[in-house]
Amino acid sequence: MIPSIASSRFFRMSYLGYVTLFFIFLITPLVVVAAFSFNDSLFPSLPWNGFTWDWYFGEGEPRLGLFHDEALLDSIGVSVQVAAVTTLASLALATCNAFLFEREQFPGKNFLYVLMLMPLVVPGVILGVSILVFSSTVANWFEVQFNYEIEALRPGLLLVTLGQFAFITTIATLVISARLRKFDITQEEAAMNLGASRLTAIATVTVPFLKPALLGAGVVAFLMSFENFNTTLMLVGSDAPLTIAMFDRLREGSTPVLNAVSVLLMVGSACLALVSMFAQRPDKH
Amino acid sequence: MSGEPGNVNRTQYRLGFWLLLAPIVLWLSLLIILPHIDMVLVSLRERIASRQYGFSLSNYTAFFTEPLYWNTFVRTAVMSVIATLLTLIIAFPVSFYIAKVLTGRPKIALFILCLIPFWVSELVRTYGWMILLRETGLISGALQWFGLADQPVEMLYNDVAIMVGLIYTSMLFMVVPLVTTLDSLDNSLIEAGYDLGGSSLHVMKSIVIPHAMPGIMSGCIVVFMLTLGNYLTPTLLGGKDSLWFTEQIYTQFITRFNWEQGAAFGILLLVLSSLIVWLGLKITKQSFTRVMS
Amino acid sequence: MTDQAFASGVDAEVQEDLACALLSKHFGEFAAVDGVSFSIPRGAFFSILGPSGCGKTTLLRMLAGFQQPDSGDILIKGSSVLHTPPNKRPVNMVFQHLALFPTMSVAQNIAYGLKRKGVPKREHASLIDEVLAKVQLPGYGDKRIDQLSGGQKQRVAIARCLVLNPAVLLLDEPLGALDLKLREQMKIELKRLQREFNTTFVYITHDQSEAMVMSDQVAVMNKGRFEQVGTPQELYYQPKTAFVASFVGDSNQYAGTVQAQSGQVVTIVTEHGVRLLSYGSQPMPSGSPVTLFIRPEVMQISTSQPVTEQDNCLKVTILRMLFDGAHSQVQVETAERVVLTVALPQTADFQALEAGRSVYVSWQASQCLCFPVSPEPAEAAQ
Repeated sequence: MIPSIASSRFFRMSYLGYVTLFFIFLITPLVVVAAFSFNDSLFPSLPWNGFTWDWYFGEGEPRLGLFHDEALLDSIGVSVQVAAVTTLASLALATCNAFLFEREQFPGKNFLYVLMLMPLVVPGVILGVSILVFSSTVANWFEVQFNYEIEALRPGLLLVTLGQFAFITTIATLVISARLRKFDITQEEAAMNLGASRLTAIATVTVPFLKPALLGAGVVAFLMSFENFNTTLMLVGSDAPLTIAMFDRLREGSTPVLNAVSVLLMVGSACLALVSMFAQRPDKH
Repeated sequence: MSGEPGNVNRTQYRLGFWLLLAPIVLWLSLLIILPHIDMVLVSLRERIASRQYGFSLSNYTAFFTEPLYWNTFVRTAVMSVIATLLTLIIAFPVSFYIAKVLTGRPKIALFILCLIPFWVSELVRTYGWMILLRETGLISGALQWFGLADQPVEMLYNDVAIMVGLIYTSMLFMVVPLVTTLDSLDNSLIEAGYDLGGSSLHVMKSIVIPHAMPGIMSGCIVVFMLTLGNYLTPTLLGGKDSLWFTEQIYTQFITRFNWEQGAAFGILLLVLSSLIVWLGLKITKQSFTRVMS
Repeated sequence: MTDQAFASGVDAEVQEDLACALLSKHFGEFAAVDGVSFSIPRGAFFSILGPSGCGKTTLLRMLAGFQQPDSGDILIKGSSVLHTPPNKRPVNMVFQHLALFPTMSVAQNIAYGLKRKGVPKREHASLIDEVLAKVQLPGYGDKRIDQLSGGQKQRVAIARCLVLNPAVLLLDEPLGALDLKLREQMKIELKRLQREFNTTFVYITHDQSEAMVMSDQVAVMNKGRFEQVGTPQELYYQPKTAFVASFVGDSNQYAGTVQAQSGQVVTIVTEHGVRLLSYGSQPMPSGSPVTLFIRPEVMQISTSQPVTEQDNCLKVTILRMLFDGAHSQVQVETAERVVLTVALPQTADFQALEAGRSVYVSWQASQCLCFPVSPEPAEAAQ
């Protein structure tokens, strides 16, 4: 079962075979998506008609490439904006939460902690509709009471951002808390002993220690926001983030330009993954 | 004499405490608690006239009297449970292989390989399966090429396709907690189990699985939640007849603009998922906080 | 009243860097520090020695300002620091696990305090080089903390404090994490550094050897109180309490009751009627229970009955030989089944000894001490 315990050759071989099959299962869909972005055909399907760059650089219909597709490029821009705001906001709140849960003792702490975990177990679609319902309730109330329409509370990018922020913060809190738990609090005392005030000590000693976790949580938050679909779908207004735009095209049936976007996403994610891996590296031991 | 500085410290400490407490309370109340309460309220009302609402259970009675709603609900729950169990069964041997059989570099490499697909959007992953499974897709093509089929085979738009998509999408959330808990199991415990005369099966049952239980539970809970609340995979791989409950919610809210009915569906789905998570925790005697963190 | 008397005493002696008056700290019912008063002359190496849980860490944390005393006063260079927050006190601390900042280089760690003090940046480099040279780590400024060995980390932690020229340097068992050999080297090194910087060191430890080797003065602490303050020699040869006698150095303990006392010499009778002579510094009524403390190295071992008159001489049986080079000992059992540990000189005379043989152990009354048995059971040393 484990290497130090003898097992039959047949068992080891079939085990290895199973694991290999698993990884083929894991990788094939991605390889296929990437491969068909280079197929010289109007549809992302067989037969293979030869290699082309058209789906990246094609300049006109019907072979409009990704880098000339204004609608897709716009939606990428929207997604980046939403993801950036969501990431910064959730990191800020998550850091506060980490300090609250790791440093403070107060009645009801466990209850608050469980509440803090709740967004993880609420399905994204429901999180989306609940925020949709509540924000319209508030907006309607304002309209009736003050005859004033708060446009921001109607489906749109603010609600999308809030909806993503609502659950991404929980994930970021878990990541940052885990790191803060490992922090040796005497380092803060040492900093104060060397003349730093409490806030200076946190800024100069604790925050640098948290940096890998902040970066890691930031990358995760950015990707989760960028790729979010369920919550976004319920809250989206006229500006569609990339996932929504892609979904609409998928349902209509689209040219392999979608494969090209997918490849772009893979490359982007891979870069972010590398960044976060290097960020976590120095404290391997 | 010395009470005063202590008090100064305390007030500073209290101020810091309130400053830390305020944001989380705002976040949880404005974005989680109040919206859900409001959704419950909306689900319990009925439109009498324009902008006139009254208390009513009609949205819930509609759910129980309309077989389509009811069937979709049960179907979603059952398929989610099956998908979760299948994911566990597929992922466990692989996780064990990564955590216990491999060491050093290959271990890290394979673990990262497991994570890679999930750095990519769910949409892209599902798209990959569409290209593979559709009539003009790769698998159909391969079957014809090998002579196993004499015409294009449509493999999309059925329950198996939905299941494959759901399992694929959920895999990461099972593998990561499993590898983490299995990794923390000391090899010498397994060796001791053998040394004391246990068979492979018995060691697995009495040592490995109890140790991995928190990981198994947290994996299952997350996978179940994600599957139950999934919208993309059933819609894209199952087509028009996928009958997934989140689609019902979407239809009520966005297409029919019947928010009262949609809210009731949302509450029902939330109750169902909480219930199953709670049951899972009860049966395996795990604590929610421990499983989630 | 005592408070005032103490304060006026401090004014008279300006030579004191650190003084405490009737310092107390309670955690609920538990008195962690219970009315401790002491003063440390300028430039002294002062150790606080005590078992874990005796309150020495609480005391140190109060000196550093991380904990507020319930009552009493702390004076640094003659002025009270009770209302000074920890970051403004002229004391620096070497933490138990050093608390070096892992995200900074050696030089950045040392510069940390300089920056907080507002020392102009251009002076940093020369100050850092100077202090690194003094702790014998020249050129280590750019190293990361995780590149240093245990002993080097110690030096950086000390340099980080001493570069600020504190009035007092507090050290919280910093050698605990080191292995034995390195700990021996660091003891000598710390002593050298203290002389070189001429700073007052307050060192807390549970390891008596660390306290004895390095200190000018040692305070033995037990249950929140100072049992005795004195030089290492005083503590070793003239312990004032049973706790100090048992905690400082190794001792054999022998229970008995007082039969007579004439001057310093006390005659003791053990349970089975063996008569032993000992010194005792306090008056002890006859019939009262006492514990006799005999150091292993004061007992003479001989294969035949000593010819000269000895105050105490017992015929014993060897239980086992404990060979440890120059520290070799032998465990013997008396006729009344008391086990004693006796130092064994590494001379040819004793090479033939083996378990089961009968030998004689003898010692002078002046070389052992007895203390009344306190009502509560005496705490076992370490």
